[in-house]
Amino acid sequence: MHLLLVGISHRTAPVELRERLDFQARGIENALATLGDRHATSEAVIVSTCNRAELYAACEDVNAGRAAIADFISDYHGIERSAMLPHVYDVTDLEAARHLFRVAAGLDSLVVGEPQILGQVKDAHTAAASARTAGTFLNRLFHASFAVGKRVRTETGLGAGAVSVSFAAVSLSKKIFGDLKGRNVLVIGAGEMGKLTALHMKSQGVHQVTIVSRTIAHAARTAEAIGGASAAPWEELDTLLGAADIVITATGAATAILTKAHLEAVMHPRRNRPLFIIDIAMPRDVEAAAGDIEQVFLYNIDDLQATVRENLARRASEVSRAESIVNEEVEKFGQWLSSRGAIPTVVALRQRFESIRKAELERLASALPPDTRGRVDDITRLIVEKLLLTPTEQLKSVTDPETVGTYAEALTRLFNLDQKPPDTSTPRDATDDHRVEPFIRPGSR
Amino acid sequence: MNAIPLVLYVAALVAYMLHFARRQPDVGRAATTFLVAGALAHTFVVGMQTMEVRHVPVTNASSAISTFVLLLVLAYLFTEMSTEERAMGAFILPLVVALQLIPALHPLPEERAEVLQGPLFGIHVSSLLFAYASFALACVIGIIYVLQFKELKAKHFGFFYSRLPALDVLDTMNQRATFVGWVCLTIGLVVGFIWAGQAPGDDPRVQAMSLQDPKIFVAVLCWLLYSFEVFAARRIGWGGRRAAYLSAVGFAIVLLNFLPISYFLTKSHNF
Repeated sequence: MHLLLVGISHRTAPVELRERLDFQARGIENALATLGDRHATSEAVIVSTCNRAELYAACEDVNAGRAAIADFISDYHGIERSAMLPHVYDVTDLEAARHLFRVAAGLDSLVVGEPQILGQVKDAHTAAASARTAGTFLNRLFHASFAVGKRVRTETGLGAGAVSVSFAAVSLSKKIFGDLKGRNVLVIGAGEMGKLTALHMKSQGVHQVTIVSRTIAHAARTAEAIGGASAAPWEELDTLLGAADIVITATGAATAILTKAHLEAVMHPRRNRPLFIIDIAMPRDVEAAAGDIEQVFLYNIDDLQATVRENLARRASEVSRAESIVNEEVEKFGQWLSSRGAIPTVVALRQRFESIRKAELERLASALPPDTRGRVDDITRLIVEKLLLTPTEQLKSVTDPETVGTYAEALTRLFNLDQKPPDTSTPRDATDDHRVEPFIRPGSR
Repeated sequence: MNAIPLVLYVAALVAYMLHFARRQPDVGRAATTFLVAGALAHTFVVGMQTMEVRHVPVTNASSAISTFVLLLVLAYLFTEMSTEERAMGAFILPLVVALQLIPALHPLPEERAEVLQGPLFGIHVSSLLFAYASFALACVIGIIYVLQFKELKAKHFGFFYSRLPALDVLDTMNQRATFVGWVCLTIGLVVGFIWAGQAPGDDPRVQAMSLQDPKIFVAVLCWLLYSFEVFAARRIGWGGRRAAYLSAVGFAIVLLNFLPISYFLTKSHNF
């Protein structure tokens, strides 16, 4: 059994193609069911986000599986193979595991370290689990990937720091005020940038957002667009400044609308309650010297962009730590995979013993009275089980692939596992012996 | 006996520092575990001494420091558990370890002078020790506030920015710790005055109890300073960073009063 990944991502495919390969539009479950109907793979999970569409599968024959999945994708989305294939990548086994681990860690994301991807990978697995297309193999793989995502998030700074201007404004506010609930936000200017940042603040649960503009109608329109915000006339600016905790200025004014002297006068009755001013206007709305006032924290668009750059650089410096976590986990997964390598041998060995037992029992059948036949059947089965218990456990505990190979070869030779067993009674048993079904637990037969 | 908690505190110090730098959750949990173990061992030590001499060991500087350290650790653990914030540990533990060195290396026999019998003395000392522990906490919170304030003002997000709590949270914690400390200080001082008034006057130390005694003078000075911080500072716009500085200065005076003055200068409090 092999692990196979076939997919496209923002690294290989333009957005037009990614849009067409979106599996979520018609439901992941539906796609999984359609894929299942083709019987091309024994297990499958589909990870589909706006930046990637990836199919993880477990299959016996990698080449056949690869072709079947590519066919499925192109048929399902009605896309010409020739248009799609140049953008499709495929990897197998441990490299596929490594790829998924890097995805879950946020290492393969457009914005490195973004946190949503781990949830999306979890959703993908949940969908496959409820569609019953994820089995032992992919369950293990995906659970390992969740662990990687969690480790990278807690042990490295890969996801730390805001990497967009409006998120940087929110995280700065949190470093000043802690919780933003109950805080008042004042937006000066009715432009688009101010609206966006205010929306971001609103989503953090601030108490009130007030828009003030020279033209009250503009303010009212923006307030409506934000939803739950109120508009106020320009004359109330000073009162509003007195009550605000966070001020966003984004007017098109040519000169500063808030001078240091003005803000000093506003700050006095506030008894030095901190005031966070985000000046995202160009040219600036707030005199730079206002930042010298004790409890005024003044940030302009350049400052915010600088923090974003700084955070991106810091994330980049954490990549190698995250990669080494991925490496560790790939190695662990590899060990598990190797230990699974012994399973075909175990199954074959058990089938061998069972067929001998059945054959002998068959021969005895005529000589035994009917009431003892059942007991003999039980006793012989028990003997075989007990004889096989230790070798089975020993085989499963081996993780080194070379040793697994040696053991398998020795057992195959000693018990003639790859040939028809001598004097089998019924043809049915003989054909059964050859079919090795690796992913069925020996005990479940 | 004070060496066992000291060793655990040193282990906790190392773990808190490591956790602060690397932010690995396991190290953080280990740090808290060491500190809790240290606090338990310390409680045992103080408890045993209490059983032995039949009162809380506070009558000489060495044992008073030991009890003070225990109170500080308990106050810190309470803050950590109620805020889920471990960053402060890296700042509190150096103080804990430094102070605990004194009783561990230089223990003094615990002898309760005849004049110190009675419940008032116990209230006096324990509420003052608790006040000092609160002020120590407020001081450390103040230092953290200033560090975070500087990063925010400089718009440079270095080592401390991501590791320290929000400014406003620190300011609130500082206010609370200072207020609790002020209440305890007030109780301690008032009870002290009452006790001094009814204490037998033939003891030379009791005779020395007046505002001219350095220890009492500095304690009253502290009370004035903290009263200002609690009631007046914020009304005249001394919030945030100035309040943080006040906490630091206040605790510096407390330490001064607690250590050198107790050891060398006071004539009234050398029991």
